[in-house]
Amino acid sequence: MKIIYLLLFIIVYSLVIYSQTKISGTIKDVNNAPLPGANIYIKDTYDGISSLADGSFSFVTDEEGEAIFVVSFVGYKNFEQAISLDGKDKIIDVILEEESTEMGTVTVSAGSFEASDENKAVILRPLDIVSTGSDADIYSTLETLPGAQQIGETEGLFVRGGSASETKTIIDEMIVQNPFFSSIPDLPSRGRFSPFLFKGTIFSTGGYSAQYGQALSSVLVLKTEDLPKQTLSAISLMALGFGGSHTQLWENSSLSAEAGYYNLDPYFKLQPQRADWIKAPESFAGSMNFRHKTSDNGMLKAFTSYSGGDLSLYTPNLDALTQKDLFRMKDGNFFFNTNYREIFGEDWTFFSGYSFSNDYNKINLTSDYIEQSQILNTGKVTLSKKLFTGTFLTFGSEVQNIIYDNTFNIFNKKLNEMYIAGYIESDISISKDIAARIGFRGEHSKLIDKFNFAPRISLAYKLGKYDQLNFAYGQFYQAPAKDFLLQTTDLNYEQADHYILNYQYIGEKTTFRIEAYYKDYDQLTKGTIFTYPYFNLPLTSFTNAGKGYAKGIDVFWKDNQLFDFGYYWISYSYLDTKREYLNYPTLATPPFAAPHTFSFVFKYWLQDITTFAGVTYSFATGRPYFNPNNPEFLGDRAKNYHNLSLNFSYITSIFDNFTVVFFSVDNLIGYNNVFGYRYSTDGTIKSPVVAPALRTAFIGMFISIGQVNPY
Amino acid sequence: MKYALLSILALLFVNNSFAQDKYEKTMKKNLAKIDSAKSVESYIEAANSFERIALTEKDKWLPYYYVSFCYTLANYQAKENSEKDSYLDKADSFIHLADSLAPNNSEIYTLRGMISQSRMAVDPMSRWMKYGAEADRLFKKAVELDSLNPRPDYLVGTGLFYTPEQFGGGPKTAKPLLKKALDKFNNFVPENEIAPNWGREMTEQMLNEINKK
Repeated sequence: MKIIYLLLFIIVYSLVIYSQTKISGTIKDVNNAPLPGANIYIKDTYDGISSLADGSFSFVTDEEGEAIFVVSFVGYKNFEQAISLDGKDKIIDVILEEESTEMGTVTVSAGSFEASDENKAVILRPLDIVSTGSDADIYSTLETLPGAQQIGETEGLFVRGGSASETKTIIDEMIVQNPFFSSIPDLPSRGRFSPFLFKGTIFSTGGYSAQYGQALSSVLVLKTEDLPKQTLSAISLMALGFGGSHTQLWENSSLSAEAGYYNLDPYFKLQPQRADWIKAPESFAGSMNFRHKTSDNGMLKAFTSYSGGDLSLYTPNLDALTQKDLFRMKDGNFFFNTNYREIFGEDWTFFSGYSFSNDYNKINLTSDYIEQSQILNTGKVTLSKKLFTGTFLTFGSEVQNIIYDNTFNIFNKKLNEMYIAGYIESDISISKDIAARIGFRGEHSKLIDKFNFAPRISLAYKLGKYDQLNFAYGQFYQAPAKDFLLQTTDLNYEQADHYILNYQYIGEKTTFRIEAYYKDYDQLTKGTIFTYPYFNLPLTSFTNAGKGYAKGIDVFWKDNQLFDFGYYWISYSYLDTKREYLNYPTLATPPFAAPHTFSFVFKYWLQDITTFAGVTYSFATGRPYFNPNNPEFLGDRAKNYHNLSLNFSYITSIFDNFTVVFFSVDNLIGYNNVFGYRYSTDGTIKSPVVAPALRTAFIGMFISIGQVNPY
Repeated sequence: MKYALLSILALLFVNNSFAQDKYEKTMKKNLAKIDSAKSVESYIEAANSFERIALTEKDKWLPYYYVSFCYTLANYQAKENSEKDSYLDKADSFIHLADSLAPNNSEIYTLRGMISQSRMAVDPMSRWMKYGAEADRLFKKAVELDSLNPRPDYLVGTGLFYTPEQFGGGPKTAKPLLKKALDKFNNFVPENEIAPNWGREMTEQMLNEINKK
């Protein structure tokens, strides 16, 4: 009985009799600057306060005994200290250490342009990719960025003096063999993948990560969208064809399907074409996209697409003007990509992917029959471990099996390439102002039976809140192109060394970036290949004796400040490059390199008519072309290139369904651009290489069913 | 003996209700802080106070909910976009903690919708496609979970109010939704004194503004 009363007494006593402890002090960072708004408290109690503008704080707690004093603040490591709450005043001055993984710290970025919706400082937004130029093609947007050339006569990204084959497209970490529709002589093809598939784009014009290989100049890294935000159907009606799609969203998964039919015939009848079409391009395309969220951080994706087409046209025969050469092509491309990403435990990120593609062309060229197919099976596994704050170790491996099957009339040749690569890379934050990425990549190709080993280094030094200095160095290897390998496999890798120095300022409203680079090419493949267009010169044997260099300066300025409802960007590139490869008799500036390239892109939201308007002006100085009559190899220059294009997206609703009407005109002022000239074998007749039409207009309508308004 | 045991039980109960009382009292005190807050600093000060409760009362979703709410409100007062995004990042992480304690809660979905809506407002031109759709989905889910909750209607109405007419927005389109929200506010009885109960004044204000035109 007594014990119970004693117990009662103790309980009552503990409730009634207490003392107060006053705790005060200041919260500062390592530079002695006050940190206002930090949360200061006694662990597991309500007692605490926020620091004031001068970093000071003072509060009183009723708690007693041993406790833990905590300070927490966004972007800083938590501060904890044991404290005795004994009624005596306490003064605690705290210096908080910065947490380097938080926003606003330095990231390695030499050589790359990033477009993303994520909240970090990036140069472009996905919308910029979709809404630039006249044709909603990722690649035409990238041509408005410095480092890329304005090439109108063929597809591909020609980066910093590199040929199109030196740029590789990567979707969800997996290399894509044929990112463009099949090539037609002297006509550009579009990119195969819709820009709407991607949430993030990194366009690296050099010095990129060891996770990617087989690209001497550049990689375009595309990240597909995660779970879509809603269930939606859409219809598109265009001057070129029509299509439809449906996306179904469940709690953690989604499935979407899309199909389209395109026939350029009616369009070509309306709009005179310079090319002599027999059958305007007709194609079918379909795709399916599956997403499943496996956990908070896990995602399984699968994407498959098929497209097939048929076209035929006459190309001029400069050796016999009374004749025309027939070119007929049927093509098909099947693409499949699946990948799984998960974060395990606290520190491990796991990625695995598999991709299959089969691309074929059947071509009738005058009386010749050509059949080409390329089958790719590739797998990739990457693991990343956080070693400590701001420092990651990433390693993995990639395997590619490529089967080339080429038929030229009765001759058939098959090649079976097995390519294996391993890579290891570490992102290190040396201090809060300095970050480094050091990586190595090793590769082996079965066809040429050679190894290579490439180091890559990238450094970033943060100068202020918004600007930083970057440096990158790397070695890059690429196996010789298929056309060479079909002739001989007694070849070596082509090689390029990149040196990049970059300054960038990414502010709240403006972005400025300047980058100087030097690229040293070695072991480029020499030899005569009879693919169009080839230079009629004495036969050259197959060796890796080629070489070259490219140096230049890229400048980029983007301004979101000048206009309330609009923004613009300006790109300028200076390029000095020479190379000796293919059947070049000497070092020369190649036909795909203009010394000066300039682009101006302006976008404006016209509130009153709910129209998003865009203007793109591009300029490039004349590029070299091959004139057999000129003793100086590639000594002639085409005239300067100008292009002004406009695009309008009118946003409205049709029967309450959100609708976009898209209209664009390419080369509005009708400037007659000549990309170069082709000569007859004897050099007496020349013919200009020009765009397929002087002006191109495009109109289309996209209706989202079920999406009432964009809000 | 019996009597003594009862006294202990009673005392334990008192002690317990004292803790409960302290929780509610502090929550109420902090809610008053939100009401009087006008600047980023004052919202963060309120957020910090709620966070202290949240870290102590680890099984309660409401403190986390209010931390998130304070950061969402702080975003509206911030000037720079990166600052707005950093507050919304905080808001997002805290509402997910609340969500894990109280899944399928209409109020939590409402606040998540409000965060997406705020994300969009930071850079509408490039974000409306993503965050607009996301906000729409979250508000729909909030209504589905509790059709009497006035806040989703209020927020959707607010969004429409500030959306240009040609986009299918504008005061006229917003009016029926705001009216609906007000009707729901009139019948709304919060679960208790500290449960979410905001938005009524703003709804009335906006309706007045529409009626004036």
